[in-house]
Amino acid sequence: MSQRQPVKIHRRPELQSSSLVVAWDEDAGQLGQKVTDYLIQRLGGEEFGEIEPEDFFSLGDVRVEGDVAQFPEGKFFVCPQDDLVILKSAPPQFEWYKFLNLILDVAGHYCQTKELYTVGGMVTLTAHTAPRALLATSSSPEVKEMLSRYDLIPDMDYQTPPGQRPTLSSFLLWVAKGRNIPGVSLWVPIPLYLVANEDPQAQKKVLQFFDERFALNLDFEPVDRKVREQNEKLAQARLRLPEIDEYIRRLESNLKLSDEENETLSQEIAKFLREEEPGRRGKTK
Amino acid sequence: MGFRFHKKPRLKSPVLIACWPGIANIGIIAVDTLRETLEAEEFGEIEPWDFFYPQQVSIKSGVLEDLEFPASKFYFKKTASGDLIFFIGEEQPAAAGKAYAEGGKAYQLANLVLDVAQKFGSRRVYTSGAAVAPVHHTMTPRVWAVPNDRSLIAEVRKYENTILMSEVEEREGEGNIVGLNGLLLGVAKKRGLEAICLMGEIPIYLQGLPFSYPQASKSVVEVLSRTLGIEVDTTRLDEWASQVEEEIEHFYQQVPPEIKKQLEKLKHRPYAKPSEPSPITEEDKGKIMEDIDKLFKKRGEED
Repeated sequence: MSQRQPVKIHRRPELQSSSLVVAWDEDAGQLGQKVTDYLIQRLGGEEFGEIEPEDFFSLGDVRVEGDVAQFPEGKFFVCPQDDLVILKSAPPQFEWYKFLNLILDVAGHYCQTKELYTVGGMVTLTAHTAPRALLATSSSPEVKEMLSRYDLIPDMDYQTPPGQRPTLSSFLLWVAKGRNIPGVSLWVPIPLYLVANEDPQAQKKVLQFFDERFALNLDFEPVDRKVREQNEKLAQARLRLPEIDEYIRRLESNLKLSDEENETLSQEIAKFLREEEPGRRGKTK
Repeated sequence: MGFRFHKKPRLKSPVLIACWPGIANIGIIAVDTLRETLEAEEFGEIEPWDFFYPQQVSIKSGVLEDLEFPASKFYFKKTASGDLIFFIGEEQPAAAGKAYAEGGKAYQLANLVLDVAQKFGSRRVYTSGAAVAPVHHTMTPRVWAVPNDRSLIAEVRKYENTILMSEVEEREGEGNIVGLNGLLLGVAKKRGLEAICLMGEIPIYLQGLPFSYPQASKSVVEVLSRTLGIEVDTTRLDEWASQVEEEIEHFYQQVPPEIKKQLEKLKHRPYAKPSEPSPITEEDKGKIMEDIDKLFKKRGEED
């Protein structure tokens, strides 16, 4: 009986050198997923391999989300014209260290990956009308120095608060650091009330960085259109729901909301944006 | 996957005392009290990344400085009555959302701990944990002892304030020890090592409360210190137990009279003298747990 391989490679990419971008499911505002989808679509990315789930996920049941059965996936894509490799994956439930090393093994062995970028959203209690910031954690002072020419915040201090755990992106950055692979974790704070939906402004912020860093010459019109559409919907929500408008105005004035008010704001915005989705309008009251 | 030694002490047939966190941290507090009181010296650790998700990241001025994992450390102490190795695991290598280790990872970790112990010549192992029991918090907690071989039963019977599973009402010598504190007994047995798990009693209605139960840890410390022939100062444990007693009394005062009436029945030990009629029935026990669950839910909603 042949030994089961933890990855399935559909075809070998031919890259002399590459950069790896990693995005996880279950991300705030689906930021990593949306950014990597955009890159794959605009740069003609093609899937070349996938991680077999049985070593890393509990397969005793299937989660149903948005009426659809889900299955944990970890898929590798390559954009050969731009020397980019992308991994879109569900965060593993166990064997994290093995999983993260496997990612770097595949990227190194098949794509000669020389640097790593992770993308993630984080929650902030600010209004959507405030500009988005791009925060970066580097694996070394040299990488931080390289980032200084980009429009981002490269010097934050952070320690995991009690009762919480580090993110999987931080874990991956640490594993990469141990293997002398330069890496950066990119984070965009996303307004709490957009976390369950998506945040095109945050997506654009990350895409602008990648565009400049990898000279991608991206067309930003599709994401710009999404920004405009969402801003219009949120403006309508403020007009129709005075309580929501009041909450957002308070956030715009740097005033805090109570937990209950934050929850109401998040629920009402999620509901409003859902009702405004194409094909759903008028279906619910 | 392996271990790292900072130093290699010369030890003679050291007894291994190993522990991981569990219910009310009874076992780990007992073992750590011994380690601390004896000023045992750290000499090695198990590499954590294959077993654990990290617990803390430190980012300083935008650069990832460090990632901290739960520690799994070895300590040693040479005493007049023999050499000791302590192993203290800060966490069990459990799957996400679970408190106790199971499956391959638990087995690997148990084997690594025993690899180290045998490398230094250990033949005897102790682990410690909690025994959730139908007892009242005003009673001195006993220690339930589970050896991994029948030949150890006679020895265990001599331990003070200690009972075997067969002396616990309705258990007839049967039960299970969840997680690594139990698994280590089995892995030791497979290797032909003597092992005993000592479990301090905790009242059934306190197992879910968010504080430790040093009273039971003290009972375990007393058994271990007598068995190993070492003197252990339990002053700090006594002080801690007094504080916890106050918290428990505060909680107990808030228990509605009808539930308290059920709990009071636990003051009469339902076991140890199996020939006597039991003052508390299985039905009573079920009712107590149901009422306590309701009480917690109510408190949670009020919080």
